[in-house]
Amino acid sequence: MSTLLILQGLVYGLIVGAIYALIGCSLNVLYGVLRVVNFAHGEFIIAGTFVSYVLFERLGLHPLLALPVAAVGFFAVGYALCYLLMPRLRNADDPELSSFLMMYGISLMLAATMLSLFGADARNVSYSFHPIALKLGPLFLPTARLVALGVSLVIGGLLAWFFYRTLPGKALRAAIMNPDAIQMVGVDINRLSALAFGLAAGLAGATGVLVGLVFPAFTPFSGPDYTLIGFIVIVLGGLGHPIGALLGGVLFGLAEQMATVFMPQALSPIVGFGLLIAVIFLKPSGLMGRVQLR
Amino acid sequence: MASGTMVTEVSDARIARARLLIWLAGSGALLVWLALVPLVSPNLSFWFYLMLWVSMASGFNIISGFTGYLPFGYVAFYGVGAYVTAILVRKLGWPVAVAIPLAGLAGVALSLIFAKTLKLSGIYFAIVSLALAIICQILISNLPEKITGGSYGINLGGTPQPVLSFYAMLAVTVLTLGSATAVAQSRLGMALKAIRDDAEAADALGVNVPRMRLYAWMLAALFPSLCGAVEAWYTNVVDSTTAFDTLITAKTVIYATMGGLGTVSGPLVGAVILFGVDDFIWQRFPVANLFLLGLVVVLLIQFMPRGVVGTLLRRKPLLRRYLM
Repeated sequence: MSTLLILQGLVYGLIVGAIYALIGCSLNVLYGVLRVVNFAHGEFIIAGTFVSYVLFERLGLHPLLALPVAAVGFFAVGYALCYLLMPRLRNADDPELSSFLMMYGISLMLAATMLSLFGADARNVSYSFHPIALKLGPLFLPTARLVALGVSLVIGGLLAWFFYRTLPGKALRAAIMNPDAIQMVGVDINRLSALAFGLAAGLAGATGVLVGLVFPAFTPFSGPDYTLIGFIVIVLGGLGHPIGALLGGVLFGLAEQMATVFMPQALSPIVGFGLLIAVIFLKPSGLMGRVQLR
Repeated sequence: MASGTMVTEVSDARIARARLLIWLAGSGALLVWLALVPLVSPNLSFWFYLMLWVSMASGFNIISGFTGYLPFGYVAFYGVGAYVTAILVRKLGWPVAVAIPLAGLAGVALSLIFAKTLKLSGIYFAIVSLALAIICQILISNLPEKITGGSYGINLGGTPQPVLSFYAMLAVTVLTLGSATAVAQSRLGMALKAIRDDAEAADALGVNVPRMRLYAWMLAALFPSLCGAVEAWYTNVVDSTTAFDTLITAKTVIYATMGGLGTVSGPLVGAVILFGVDDFIWQRFPVANLFLLGLVVVLLIQFMPRGVVGTLLRRKPLLRRYLM
């Protein structure tokens, strides 16, 4: 009985962790290139969930088809937002903390917009797969969650390929390592920043669609929960390290889901935060971090 | 040569004294008006919360403006202050006059528990501070219902004392503004600004960097705890969702930034302006309230990151003689 629970905790931990990994990865792309800690990230994600909700409820579109719609649409929004918001921030006394505050403002605006469009009720994407659950060994697992896991693995693989095998991906990694040097070799840092912002927003939108498949319900005010998870994941994996965030996300998902096996449900978030604080004091640069602390 | 230095020193001291007098006169006039509010204004609540935000923003300025930290979990002190008051009054039956100072001490004690985080900087400090505030919230709402009332919170019982608690808030405001002024005038204030501008240089000049930061941190923790305590008395009820709402931190940061972090008068100016705007938005556009608040934040960071007082001082450096 209890081994079954532990096994289920492990599998759910992997599924949830894969989603957290994507959240952390997109946050880290943004932080790495622009030094922006995106307080509005959770709202981007929930907005992505709402896109999939609307497409399914109004047009009957399969949630997986909402994935590219959200990704491309949010990429465009992020690309534009970068040109709109970032230029003035570069001259701030402390760009990092200023952008943190500014993105908090954006998160309030997004949450308020979603509230006026959809109301405060908890919703879910009521699409059901056939069969509704699959039997894997002794475990019954909801198909939607397995599909979400598969999709996140594909996205994670694509990201790794993008960062290590394509020129824009390499440029992004170079910009994370040394934003001054990359301008010397002739890269337009403004366009690259916009690309990073677009990529982060697009990924957040796609993650939102997966959130709709895995988590039971969402409201316009669910955003901060995901933002916080993202913060924990990027500190765990190393600030500004997109691949480290993938690792941090899986670790956090496993810790959280295992905690629900052994502890009361309401207390389980403490495990995540405890992990965060432990990592910050033991290894402040994160599991794979290379960005220096100021 | 020597006499020339003497002359500038004397006039510097005179300018500093004049600047202090202007600030004391300005804030003093406001405080006198506030003391009269219960006699003349029907809208006690507006002025109560104005004072609360002035104190929160001014206390925040001591840690953020003077030392450069951004504690995004500042609400932890507010919430703990509120809960300590509620528990002492309701569960132990202690008088409010004892409970509120003890709530302030509890906040300072909490700041000592969190003191290790001061070795982090920048965004790390901000994120950890936020996480700690949420841990406090989760712990308090999961304590046995006998102690913290679970998710329903605690009703303080007894009859509400709006006028008395109003004057308690006034006392907290006087204490906060007075402390901020004293810190800015003192060696501590000078040391903090030196550390903020260049910690290594300050250290080389013999400033005890960790100790000075700790003092600022403890002081900055006292005022939100008192604010939370008095607000709990004023509203007569405490629950973990509102007492630890991130929006409280955010508003504190926004108000202080609006006025100008690192200036003594800034948080007062910013809180008065933005709380007025916020209240107006609430009255006129209750639905769009949150959206407009977010918009104000974005515009503020884009166009006036140093706040009203900070921008004035930068544009017209001569004003430094009159504004602190």
